[in-house]
Amino acid sequence: MNDTDRTADFGFEKVAWNEKAGRVREVFASVAGKYDVMNDLMSFGVHRLWKQFALSLTGLRPGQQALDVAGGTGDLALGMLRQVGKTGRVVLSDINSSMLERGRDRLLDAGLVGNVECLVADAERLPFDDNAFDCVMIGFGLRNVTDKAAALRSMHRVLKPGGQLLVLEFSTPVAPGLKPFYDAYSFKVLPLLGRFVAKDAASYRYLAESIRMHPNQETLLDMLRTAGFDQARYHNLSGGIVALHRGYKI
Amino acid sequence: MTATPAWLASIEALFNRGIAGSAEASALAQRLNATMIRIEVHGITAVEASVMGGRLALLAAGSKTEAAAEVATGTSGARAGSTTADATIAGSPLALLRLVRGGPTRRDPAAAAQVRGDAQIADSYRRLFALARPDLEEELSRVVGDLPARRLAQFGARSFAWALRAQRTAGDNVAEYLQEESRDLVNRAELEEFLRGVDAVRDTAERIEARLKRLERMPKGPPA
Repeated sequence: MNDTDRTADFGFEKVAWNEKAGRVREVFASVAGKYDVMNDLMSFGVHRLWKQFALSLTGLRPGQQALDVAGGTGDLALGMLRQVGKTGRVVLSDINSSMLERGRDRLLDAGLVGNVECLVADAERLPFDDNAFDCVMIGFGLRNVTDKAAALRSMHRVLKPGGQLLVLEFSTPVAPGLKPFYDAYSFKVLPLLGRFVAKDAASYRYLAESIRMHPNQETLLDMLRTAGFDQARYHNLSGGIVALHRGYKI
Repeated sequence: MTATPAWLASIEALFNRGIAGSAEASALAQRLNATMIRIEVHGITAVEASVMGGRLALLAAGSKTEAAAEVATGTSGARAGSTTADATIAGSPLALLRLVRGGPTRRDPAAAAQVRGDAQIADSYRRLFALARPDLEEELSRVVGDLPARRLAQFGARSFAWALRAQRTAGDNVAEYLQEESRDLVNRAELEEFLRGVDAVRDTAERIEARLKRLERMPKGPPA
């Protein structure tokens, strides 16, 4: 089947395979200005703990190389920069230039220059040599990728042997009794927040829908293994609202 | 498989940092490649620890990942065959802590950690945990910076020493109250005096008994 016949999920909507990337780009271009504020509002600040947990597992040491895929406003890249120090290198990449600009400005404002690069890149076709990075992280980005399997393969390719991939992403709640409240919050409160704060309810409706269409923990774990990752496992955070998947290139 | 608890991942990350920071621990981890032990913390949890590629992996027992499966079946390592852990270390949290520290073992076997299976691998893991043991002050300094971490560590050490002293003093005070004020317990001098009295009564009773037996054995005849 060629790409013109295939469809992809854009939230609950089915769109042409080639159309999804553009639609996602529009969503994030629209919310880029309020992205960080909205993250704090929507998660009550807990997203900082999820990211901190992911950063605590990178295993990065000074002098190493790391890649933040779909890094957006750069908070994970910022954490990884602190871990690799001045002798290391971090690449912040995103398919959306508006988000990337925010990330680049934030890193500059933090005085982090010289060992960080920002570039627009498609996660499915990362423009790096094979075996280039000690750690690759994608935080809240994989669900927006059209071909997730291709993105995982691409991230596996650029990892050095022994390097680790970390996928931080919304997932399926597993804590008993959580799902009805989570659904009500996602579909009623989030679009309202988006409407009043970011002036864009549709983008936040997409957020809730895209989370529901994203593979659950076990499915994503299988996808990691299929892409060639060893020692693949996952950790549920906040009752499974978010899951951190990890795998190594051996 | 089920999810690996986040707290276990954090502990694993701490130990892996320790392994990466110690040449001896790294060499030991390489030697332990493709081995697995089971750690049973009585009343709390059971954890499977394996080493793959020189990296420690901790999993809640029962939540087998590909890594643990590889270790178990020997598909990616030198070891083939077994589907169980090479060794099991079981004990209370305190006993396991003492084992890692290499301190004196308890005389009471029930209170000491127990090792089953390949004792050499179990001992190697014990040494690995000891070598890669996290330096709490160093870990704290990653979050709050060097100086506050130093101050907090000193404060923690002083607090711990104070708590130990307070516990000892409180015990002494309670014992003194029960012995001297409420008189619910006797003090050591009184107890020893009582025991000496019991010994004296027993000795006297034994002497009387011996004398009576001797009298009984004496030939019975008309008084002279």
